[in-house]
Amino acid sequence: MTNLLKETSHTSEQLKTMLYDMMVIRSFEEMVEKLFQQGKIHGTMHLCIGQEATAVGACVPLTIEDKITSNHRGHGHSIAKGTKVKGMMAELLGKETGYCKGKGGSMHIADLDVGNLGANGIVAAGLPLGVGAALTSKMKKLGYVVVCFFGDGASNEGAFHEALNLAAVWDLPVVFFCENNLYGMSASIKEMTRVENIADRGAAYGIPGVIVDGNDVLAVAEATQKAVERARTGEGPTLIEAHTYRWRGHSRSDARKYRTREEEKEWRKMRDPIALFKEQLLKAGVLTGDEFSDMEQQVANEMDEAVEFAENSKEPDLETLMKDIFA
Amino acid sequence: MNDMRELTYLEAIRESMSEEMRRDEDVFIMGEDIGVYGGAFGLTNGMIEEFGPERVRNTPISEAAISGCAVGAAMTGMRPILEIQFSDFVMIAMDNIVNQAAKMRYMFGGKTSVPVVVRLPGGSGAGFAAQHSQSLEAWMAHVPGLKVVQPSNAYDAKGLMKAAIRDNNPVLFYEHKLLYNTKGEVPAEDYEIPLGQADIKREGSHITIVATAIMVNRALEAAEILAKEGIEVEVIDPRTLVPLDTETILNSVKKTSRVLVVYEAVKRGGYGAEIASMIAESDVFDYLDAPIRRLGGLATPIPYNPTLEKAAVPQVDDIVVECRKLMNK
Amino acid sequence: MATEVVMPKLGATMEEGTIVSWLVPVGEVVEEGDPIAEIQTDKIVIEIEAETTGVLLKTVHDAGNTVKVHEVIAYMGEEGESLDGLAVTSPTGSESVDQQQETTVEAAPVTSAQAGDKIRRTPAARKLAEENRVNLQEVVGSGSKGRIHKVDVESFLAQNAKRITPLAKKIADDQGMDYKQIDGTGVRGKVMKQDVIIPPTDSGQTPEVENKRVPFRGMRKVIADRMAESAYTAPHVTLYSEIDMTNCVSLRQDLLPVIEKIEGQRISFNEIIIKATAFTLKQHPNMNVSLEGNEIVFHSDINVGMAVAVPDGLVVPVLRNVDQKGLAELTAESKKIGKQAREGKLAPDDMQGSTFTISNLGMYAIDGFTPIINLPNAAILGVGRIQKKPVVVNDEMVIRSMMTLSLSFDHRIIDGAPAAAFLTALKDALENPLTLMI
Repeated sequence: MTNLLKETSHTSEQLKTMLYDMMVIRSFEEMVEKLFQQGKIHGTMHLCIGQEATAVGACVPLTIEDKITSNHRGHGHSIAKGTKVKGMMAELLGKETGYCKGKGGSMHIADLDVGNLGANGIVAAGLPLGVGAALTSKMKKLGYVVVCFFGDGASNEGAFHEALNLAAVWDLPVVFFCENNLYGMSASIKEMTRVENIADRGAAYGIPGVIVDGNDVLAVAEATQKAVERARTGEGPTLIEAHTYRWRGHSRSDARKYRTREEEKEWRKMRDPIALFKEQLLKAGVLTGDEFSDMEQQVANEMDEAVEFAENSKEPDLETLMKDIFA
Repeated sequence: MNDMRELTYLEAIRESMSEEMRRDEDVFIMGEDIGVYGGAFGLTNGMIEEFGPERVRNTPISEAAISGCAVGAAMTGMRPILEIQFSDFVMIAMDNIVNQAAKMRYMFGGKTSVPVVVRLPGGSGAGFAAQHSQSLEAWMAHVPGLKVVQPSNAYDAKGLMKAAIRDNNPVLFYEHKLLYNTKGEVPAEDYEIPLGQADIKREGSHITIVATAIMVNRALEAAEILAKEGIEVEVIDPRTLVPLDTETILNSVKKTSRVLVVYEAVKRGGYGAEIASMIAESDVFDYLDAPIRRLGGLATPIPYNPTLEKAAVPQVDDIVVECRKLMNK
Repeated sequence: MATEVVMPKLGATMEEGTIVSWLVPVGEVVEEGDPIAEIQTDKIVIEIEAETTGVLLKTVHDAGNTVKVHEVIAYMGEEGESLDGLAVTSPTGSESVDQQQETTVEAAPVTSAQAGDKIRRTPAARKLAEENRVNLQEVVGSGSKGRIHKVDVESFLAQNAKRITPLAKKIADDQGMDYKQIDGTGVRGKVMKQDVIIPPTDSGQTPEVENKRVPFRGMRKVIADRMAESAYTAPHVTLYSEIDMTNCVSLRQDLLPVIEKIEGQRISFNEIIIKATAFTLKQHPNMNVSLEGNEIVFHSDINVGMAVAVPDGLVVPVLRNVDQKGLAELTAESKKIGKQAREGKLAPDDMQGSTFTISNLGMYAIDGFTPIINLPNAAILGVGRIQKKPVVVNDEMVIRSMMTLSLSFDHRIIDGAPAAAFLTALKDALENPLTLMI
């Protein structure tokens, strides 16, 4: 664990907000997991429990004007970017008050008002889209930066390579943020690429490649901050590789035969991003035990409200089936 | 102000894009070799000189990235025109068109729009063989959320391109390589041909030919020959496959009672099958006095040899013969 | 599911009917409304129409059989349908059980080449055929593999513009007659049996008559009974009077175009005579009577029966309240009723309630005759032909259109003097037809 807290310029309020956001993400994931088990959510979902620090840390340097593109494991990214859990919960329950009016579901939550250009069901698809959004920023001189979240698996997609190259040759304001959680579904990244680090691939496109502890939210925030500044000043894209771990399986139907329980236990006990950051804040005196309890209660309340809102919301009318196909 | 000039199909498209780029700062074009090279067919010749490299963006050979980039730019306020050098290369961009552009608005509950035009030079007859000569527009027409345009002459090309650029949806704009140098009268003024409006290219009473792209021109030639035999052919050009102007087609079939659908794409599963089915399912069925016939490409990759290449897709004579059959002659 | 075809009850008094002919063979597809059989009641011959579209599966009675009303005479159903399980009626109560012959259809009855095969035809051809009730089995297709196109149906229609009943077609074919030239009396000009029967007088050749015995029943029997009853119970006296019809001839000439324009029908002398008769009856109510049991009934209505010859006999449809009707209306009505009578389409009620009858043989070379009273009427007027004759008018020989009227009256209730007065008044009316306008 780095000792960034001493050097950080973040105020204690900002630090507590970061912790709070991570707690919201985890609580949201646990709640939707429960609702899924209760049969209130259908389809599938990809949970990011254990990866809260990458989402929150990467969004710390972003303003509401900046944008993100996300992937199939996107609940954390959305919450970190400012998308509200009420609308997300309603979307997962397929209600008309959901962010996508019940037509997108877990893999397509988007909230353009806060710069969330949407989760994506296609691996690596968010990268070229993010590059396009960055092109708009450049051509219209809007000054915003785009952070593209993707996993280690996506780094083997052609779109990853083409997007990095394109953004590089056009000096576009993009941060390619790779959450390396070691497995693309069941495939260990070690077996799927010969390069040591995904970050090394930045060199192929003439852009910086940075490795960061993805479970250290301050380290993530720090690394992203630098990349965002580079992008904003017209120096072009950066590739960040954040090491992290997803506690749950790939989706709801994963027996996790491809990894050991020992490995899982180690990440959960020793490298829980929330526990680590909480300890840091308690030690530094930024946070008290009581405050933490209050925060836990607040998060629980927020989640209850979200579920109540979602459950009390209307199902979409059948007539919306054929709406919004064309603008 | 009705200044008519002769322009080629290619010039008409260029003029249409240039006019729109002058009118709207958000419109720009991106693609491979479209800068000083002028594009593989020279269509963007002179555009980089007028608009500069920022708005005539030469891209790496990265269809997956540039297509996604165009969609991302469209979602965030630009109106990109993406030139895919040969329509065959769109396969590499398919995810961004089918999974992203077509669905974004719907998936997001109507919260975004994707005003992108994807230009796709297609069709056979130029000796480019199997990977540079296909007509896969039916693939696109199959996908909800995409509009598909296939102009058959210079006049239509200019007006349809305007409509495509101004449309707030992804529009796949299929240009036929063999038509690029065909000339037609094109007004200098600004005009738009609404998407979803078929055109009756020739009136006739005996057979309706619904033809797309270059087949419109071949159908018109065939109609001349057939007229001398007393067979009066009506030629309908849908101009846009999605949306499809079913009314104009059905009214014509109701009048003639016989219909031949002609398209260059492989007949099996081609868009002409959709047109034929649409007619068969409609109330006009009762007016049919012959089976609905289709003339399409053979189920073969486009061969290189010019004789074989010609034989792979409908030619004027094929249309003439098919019409005679329809008339039991 | 097979449906029963029963002997219809066509009037309150009808108890039985005779099947004159089956108009379609067993196994043939008929459409709803197509005539399938001709039925003769005691008064009329009428066509039975199919109530549903389908196949005539079986006939229970042959032509010639007399069947009680409501009794099953045939079954209709779908092609190939079996009648097993249905309580199929056997002929009962028939006068001619010995003649009974059942015909059933086992499978599709049409020629083997077409049996079971769907006809290849375009939608447009099918639509046109349906609209014109063309049986596509009869149409030759010009398209691929014999597919029938619209043009094939059109040319079929052009060639077969003549619609004809199967019976009429058989008769016409037997006689080598070109029925296409005949203006049929059926629906939309359909050629009916009566249209192709050549009247002996019209034919140069003598029809071949074979030795045969025909059952004495049906209409023939009814006519016979009625005539005998009238002739043997009512003492007939017949008065003759020769009428100068010259004014009527010119009146008719004047009215022809006028009435034709209004009604689309050409007025004939018959209507003028009917009108004049009603006019005169009104002035002579003692002629408009009938003997019913112990009472002589004086009728306030003047309903004139009009004897109409039909192929197998004679019917008398009734024109009602003739005195209140103008010549145009009368013309239209008498043409209509006459046509219905010849087509065997009269309803029983059309033949009830006459108070006086006119029998017109003016189309033949007949001058005068002794008509038999149509009971319970008290009198009948026989009309002869109009002929130009030299007559003396004002001591001069002039040529006039002359016609003889023969009035038979029932001397039980009408005496000679009032009958003679009536005929004289009628003569005056016809010779001065303008009085009819008064």
